Amino acid sequence: MNNTLLTITISLLFGIGTFLMLRRDIIKVIIGLSVLSHAVNLLIVSTGIFDGTKVPIITGSGHEGEASGIIFNDNLADGVLAPVVSASTHVDFVDPLVQALVLTAIVISLATTAFILILAYRIYEEYGTTDIRELRRLWG
Amino acid sequence: MIAEMSHLPIILIAVPILMAALMLFLRSNEGVQKGLNITVSFVMMALSFVLLWQVWNGGIQVYEVGEWGKYGIILVADLLSSGMVVLSSLVSFLALLYSLDYIEGKSLNSSYHSLFNLLVAGLNGTFLTGDIFNMFVFFEILLLSSCALVVANEKGGVTKSSDKMEATFKYLVLNMIGSIVMLIAVASLYATVGTLNMADLSVKISAMSAAGTLPWHIFAIALLFIVVFGNKAAIFPMHYWLPDVHPTAPSPISAMLSGVMIKVGAYGMLRVFFLIFRDALFLFQPIIIFLALATIIIGAVSAVGQKDVKRLLAYSSVSQIGYVFLGIGFGTVHALAAALVFLVNHAIAKSMLFLTSGGIIHHAGTRDMTKMGGMIKTTPVMSVAFLIGAMSIAGLPPMGGFIAKFVLFDAGLLAEYYIPIAIALFFAVFTLFYMFRAWLLMFWGEIRDVEKYGEYSSHKSSYMITIPIITLAALAFIFGIYAEPLIALSQAIAEQLIDPQPYIDAVMTRVVR
Repeated sequence: MNNTLLTITISLLFGIGTFLMLRRDIIKVIIGLSVLSHAVNLLIVSTGIFDGTKVPIITGSGHEGEASGIIFNDNLADGVLAPVVSASTHVDFVDPLVQALVLTAIVISLATTAFILILAYRIYEEYGTTDIRELRRLWG
Repeated sequence: MIAEMSHLPIILIAVPILMAALMLFLRSNEGVQKGLNITVSFVMMALSFVLLWQVWNGGIQVYEVGEWGKYGIILVADLLSSGMVVLSSLVSFLALLYSLDYIEGKSLNSSYHSLFNLLVAGLNGTFLTGDIFNMFVFFEILLLSSCALVVANEKGGVTKSSDKMEATFKYLVLNMIGSIVMLIAVASLYATVGTLNMADLSVKISAMSAAGTLPWHIFAIALLFIVVFGNKAAIFPMHYWLPDVHPTAPSPISAMLSGVMIKVGAYGMLRVFFLIFRDALFLFQPIIIFLALATIIIGAVSAVGQKDVKRLLAYSSVSQIGYVFLGIGFGTVHALAAALVFLVNHAIAKSMLFLTSGGIIHHAGTRDMTKMGGMIKTTPVMSVAFLIGAMSIAGLPPMGGFIAKFVLFDAGLLAEYYIPIAIALFFAVFTLFYMFRAWLLMFWGEIRDVEKYGEYSSHKSSYMITIPIITLAALAFIFGIYAEPLIALSQAIAEQLIDPQPYIDAVMTRVVR
């Protein structure tokens, strides 16, 4: 993670999210949570990015195929299932796994945000306000 | 048949998810829905016992989902995982049986069955997975389904709808922050070590530690994991959501939350700290012991002054989970075994107490203990069950709680942690006080002022409600007088935890295609 601009963006998003979470309005708290979760998503993506790397798409049968030691084609007789990268090969792709992780995290945060928005609406119906300081009936 | 048995770990996760979808389609036919769900839940319980038996006899089972080897998601059933699955399946079967008659018909019919199945899937998945990111996903399934279950309506409607909304909002916001923290921890761990498989992480971090190149931020990541699992288990600084959420949930869900859900935190702690961070553990043991003691003190002191029966039980849960974490903090084989014995006994006794409190609330029409009294004549079954539970939680022989506290304090003394044991022992006396105060207030003395608070309900509790309570009470009693099998199992689990080499071997020696 050698990208200064990205780092500053992530830290700003964390700051904005935390600030909004400390507001008194329920809706602002929820927006804060979503900003925070997007900050985390950016953090995850940024862990896979290194300077001078390309997108993780392996193109064609490969201009660097045989020479680099990357095997693109299945060879079932020898029990080889492509793609196989030998340990000594230098590969300058970004890590594709973190993008799969982020996809999962986004879907999960969508579900939780949908739920908490409905909950906020029901709270507004029950209490007649979205002020978080009014939510103290359980303290009795 | 034998060949199918190797698919048990995935069956235990996939069938509840499929059932959740099926239950939505069966909404028009209430009888089929109930019958099918109970049958499947019972079969799941039987299968979880089979899984434990297989692991006990045949060693650790590894199931590769999609046959990607250690690069894909794997499910690992070692003794700890399969033991926890047995515990959660048992409690969830009994809670489901109880809720058929307890939850309001419309709520039960429309969404309760699906959500309950998702909760079971989340629990089994969390216990069985061998992949740290997959654990996060199952945590979220657990969180969302439990949130939706907390707002389900019970018959009679003692708890106001607005209370449920408020409690769920607190629970959801805190746990969303917890899951964000977990994502940060997992992402940093992946960026540092380059794998998400727990056994692989353990090997690589050990290798780094042996070479003396362990980066300092591994310790920061481990602290983040303490926050995550502490939030799930409600230990001291993150405990304040629990006394709001557990009382407002319907009783069978309170039993699930207090009996199994907070144990997920303890399980995660055992799994992550004794497998992944075992070389950094020495640094965190004092922190865990301190937090555990603070939890014990806060929970016990707060429980003494409660008037609401379920709130008292919730504060008692906070206090008791502290003892489990105390055992984890000591970190010796005996202490871990003791923590597991304590965990099982608390799960059984506390689920039983919450189920019983549901019956009591139904009978008295209120949750306020000062508005009850003399109920031993009108509900003898509930009073005996509550007495057994209170004795078990307070640690009186011959109940299971006595054995649990005895082995825990014994292990602490063997490991020479004298001051923590002294504090824990002192606050165990508080447990005795608040549990018996509750029992005396509710069941002993005069029958309440009928003109002021009205008659007790003459409605008899059905077998659906009494059978789970009696089963769990019998278990609490059996674990007290015949504790040897449980202690032997916990000892074996603790030995596997202290020396995770068999776990690592089982995962890593797979053929990677």
